[in-house]
Amino acid sequence: MRNNATLQIRDLARTFGEIRAVDGVSFDVRPGMMTGFVGGNGAGKTTTMRMVMGVLGITSGEVRWDNRPITMADRRRFGYMPEERGLYPKQPVLDQLVYLGQLGGMSAQGARESVMRHLERFGLAERSKDHVEKLSLGNQQRVQIIAAVMREPTCLILDEPFSGLDPAAVDSMADLLREHTSRGVPVLFSSHQLDLVDRLCDRLVILNKGRLVGDGTREELESTGQVRYRLALGGDAGWVRDVPGIHVVDLEGSSALLEILQTGAEQELLRAAVQRGELREFSPVRPSLSEIYREVTQ
Amino acid sequence: MSIDTRPSTAQDSTTSTSPDLGGTTSAWALVARREILIKLTDKGFIIGTLLTLAILGAWLGYTAYSSERTSSYAVVTTAQDAPMGAALAAAATTIDDKVEVTTSTVSDTAAGESAVRDGEADGFLHQADGGWVLTTESGEDGLLGVTKQAVRAAVIDGQAQQLGTTAAELEAGSTVSERFLVGDAERAGLARAIGFAMSLLFFMAALMYGLQIANSVVEEKQSRIVEIIATSIPLRHLLAGKVLGNTVMAILQIILYVGVGLIGLSFTQYGSFIPALGGPVVWFVVFFTTGFVALAALWAVAGSLASRVEDLQSTTAPLSYLIMGIYFGSFFLSGTAKVIASFVPPVSAVLMPMRILEGGVPIWQPIVAIALMLVFALGTIVIGERLYRRSLLQSGGRVSLKQAWSAAE
Repeated sequence: MRNNATLQIRDLARTFGEIRAVDGVSFDVRPGMMTGFVGGNGAGKTTTMRMVMGVLGITSGEVRWDNRPITMADRRRFGYMPEERGLYPKQPVLDQLVYLGQLGGMSAQGARESVMRHLERFGLAERSKDHVEKLSLGNQQRVQIIAAVMREPTCLILDEPFSGLDPAAVDSMADLLREHTSRGVPVLFSSHQLDLVDRLCDRLVILNKGRLVGDGTREELESTGQVRYRLALGGDAGWVRDVPGIHVVDLEGSSALLEILQTGAEQELLRAAVQRGELREFSPVRPSLSEIYREVTQ
Repeated sequence: MSIDTRPSTAQDSTTSTSPDLGGTTSAWALVARREILIKLTDKGFIIGTLLTLAILGAWLGYTAYSSERTSSYAVVTTAQDAPMGAALAAAATTIDDKVEVTTSTVSDTAAGESAVRDGEADGFLHQADGGWVLTTESGEDGLLGVTKQAVRAAVIDGQAQQLGTTAAELEAGSTVSERFLVGDAERAGLARAIGFAMSLLFFMAALMYGLQIANSVVEEKQSRIVEIIATSIPLRHLLAGKVLGNTVMAILQIILYVGVGLIGLSFTQYGSFIPALGGPVVWFVVFFTTGFVALAALWAVAGSLASRVEDLQSTTAPLSYLIMGIYFGSFFLSGTAKVIASFVPPVSAVLMPMRILEGGVPIWQPIVAIALMLVFALGTIVIGERLYRRSLLQSGGRVSLKQAWSAAE
């Protein structure tokens, strides 16, 4: 069953007493896309996710699914991984996953089959009778993700799904999520690890102090900032500072990082460089995600 | 704006489209089943139950054994006091059919004392200061009681003969015997003992299960698994399942204990009272059930007010005091206060069955008391559900009752 519903967050806000934890946030989580949700501590990521899942009341705004206000029945078909993990520490893995599946409306048989399939995939089949507390933290996290995906969810809301995983585990978790996006499922996941988000997500949503400061594909976010160029010369590049219409961000010996403030100024710069001697490189610099992040959260 | 976290189940079943959603079992039943399975597979629970049964069995066995046992005592006297020894040996079994006394003589007081000290004799009976003394190693209650009566009878007999009369004539009109307006002596004693046992059972179950309920609630809250559950089922079902599952287990356990207790009792001298106990015991189970349900809902609230297991002690303290109040109240109250309190929930859970056991309670009284208890239980469930639902998803520190009551959902 292919999904093509979009999760829409519209002017969502939540106050705790005097504090506006989430302040008028709007963005879409599109079908078949991995949307990375980034922001510092206290930016409002978890609060937003909890409101989307209906476990926290909404102060104002709304959450829409498939172009209508979301219902509890819609949410019941979502997969959700809350912030802190634990499940029931003293209950066997299989038993509690089947229990959660049944609460979610699966038959006992269907739940057991789905759980075993996922456990095998993660190499945990032989641990199915172990108590959750006996598993390593990484394996507990795998069990937790199984709880979120076992019912073929229509949407995935995952709070820090990759924290504490080793690189191999990150890859296998990412593969699993890709399978769901290929079914058309929208996936929203939060993370502190910007390099990971950069590698995995199709779209980015950036929160800062409860407000939305960035929303789009990486390319879209890049273009909102000033494009920078790297210039490499044969000799000292100090003279570049004096070229009109050019802002030197960084200068080191023969190379410089530049921003072009006036269209056409770069032509003047290049001509001068050729006249002065060797021009080795002039290219646009793709900013790293942390640079974009730093820029939008300033 | 607030969102509705309580969908109707009808809505759920009509809007779900996946072939996976074939489950028909109600959510509360699934929760209750899990609570029961968790208890049944918990080693601590099984060991605790078996241990309690073992202690109960041992106590009943000892009671049965000691009620049948005949105690034999060896008493020594000097040759001079031998007639009194003979009188004691002759009278002992008449006075107490569980006591047997054999006598022998020793040469003097020193020999008598050393016989007792060496364990050759249980007592040394001799005359001193115009009376009789029973020297024992460190007290023999059974022997002393019989000896007192036997010596007194023998001495009065002797004096009566000197006065030219008989002991019976001397004592005429001086006896005091007991008569009860309600029941009889043994029944009153038994009622006290069983009332004590019942209030202890209620106290233990209410406290033990209560703390376990509160603990399992905060465990779900702390690990955030409650957030996963809350997106699948209405929280009301989670509360109902928890209360139901624990109540079923508590009642099965109580029935087990009471059953074993009654079977054990049938082997003791109190066996003949068992048919009369049937009614009160049934009442006890009925009151226990409703009282337990009422308290279980409150325990769940106490658990939901905490955010971490460490907060539990402070959020459960008021309930612990309430239950201790019920327990001690059941002993200290008497007369009119006891009659009134036996209608007041949740104290009535213990006091009303206790009064039924003592006898003389008109049938309308337990019926009114149980009706009040049901109203109370319903009230705690309704109020408890609201508090539970609103505080369960609030994390970060303790939630006060006021906050929970007025919190936006």
